[in-house]
Amino acid sequence: MKKRGILVSEFFEHLKEKLSLRLIAGKHGLSNRITVAELNRPGLALAGYTDYYASQRIQVLGKAEISYLNNLSSEECSRRLRSVFSNKVPCIIIARRIKPPVELIKVANEKAIPVLRTHYMTMKLINKATIFLEDRFAPAITINADHVEVFGVGILILGKSGAGKSETALGLVSNGHRLIADDIVKLKLTEAGFVVGEGSSMTRHFMELRGLGIINVQTLFGVGSVKERKKVELIISLEQWDPNKEYERVGIESEYKSLLGIKIPHLTIPVRPGRDIISLVEVAALNYRLKKLGINPALELNNRLLEVMKNKAFGGSSV
Amino acid sequence: MSKIIEKEIVIKNKLGIHARPAALLVQLANKFKSEICVCKDSEVVNAKSIIGIMTLAANYGSRLKIKAEGPDAEDAIKALVQLCNDKFGEK
Repeated sequence: MKKRGILVSEFFEHLKEKLSLRLIAGKHGLSNRITVAELNRPGLALAGYTDYYASQRIQVLGKAEISYLNNLSSEECSRRLRSVFSNKVPCIIIARRIKPPVELIKVANEKAIPVLRTHYMTMKLINKATIFLEDRFAPAITINADHVEVFGVGILILGKSGAGKSETALGLVSNGHRLIADDIVKLKLTEAGFVVGEGSSMTRHFMELRGLGIINVQTLFGVGSVKERKKVELIISLEQWDPNKEYERVGIESEYKSLLGIKIPHLTIPVRPGRDIISLVEVAALNYRLKKLGINPALELNNRLLEVMKNKAFGGSSV
Repeated sequence: MSKIIEKEIVIKNKLGIHARPAALLVQLANKFKSEICVCKDSEVVNAKSIIGIMTLAANYGSRLKIKAEGPDAEDAIKALVQLCNDKFGEK
């Protein structure tokens, strides 16, 4: 089981340039673990009120906190810092490149809490760090699939090895649709509650086709044929035609598949020679968009049928 | 129920798993009916997919775990471990 969270060193390395961070104290604590995606401003705690103080979060010191500390006597300042910056605090970030009191450096070194400093304003810093942390903490899985965007709809194509996932994706790309990832899709659950898929940075937009080998979709079809990430709105499973299995014939009720705890509409398309899977996926995408607009063709036909039968029952003329 | 067989390997050829060894590994894996996957750290990929194997960027000395499940899992693992131990026919 992988331990939850990320190391402070990892956080530092990733945001070093973006936030122009510098490590100014507590370097022995770089192996501390950040376990929550939120940041905290410990103003109230420094002033003495420590109820509900979120010590496991990254602590951000801005102008207000530092000037408060500077107004305290040296002993008082050390005492407050010691009580607030317990061993649970993963790291401290100072905004606006403010020079912290010497007591802070001392306590941080003592307790092995890294102190990072940036020139950003407190709110900007919190925003940027939160975006990074939330992405890192998002539940994620890697699956064997193809991810494409067809008429603007993000479709995840599932199927066993050799079912024709890559060939379908290629056919869609040559019809003007976009490839997000072939073969390996990293799925992440976003804060907004939807699943986003992207390729692995190593093999992004490369594709393997049996008989041809490896191709680069972006250079072959142009930059417009690829996309970095896309929400998964529809899942299509390709499988060998099984004469004993019942396939969807009407489409009034939707079937769903769960990904990272989110229910996503799911279709199963049986594959057999002569079936044009690419057109079927395109139609599925268009049909999905219609359904989203509140138009369900199966329901429409059924309503028409019910209407006709009702008229007949009341002795009306047949249509 | 077929059981899952698992084995750890260490990459012993100097260049790691680049295109040629990846192709050999995938071709071999495809000869078996079992579901086979390769794990490196937290990444898990399908052993029958060359893009998957290349995503791992398994360099010299890296440790991989091969897992197989299916009727011929045992033979599959044996063959794949053999291929790695033979350094994919490289140095």
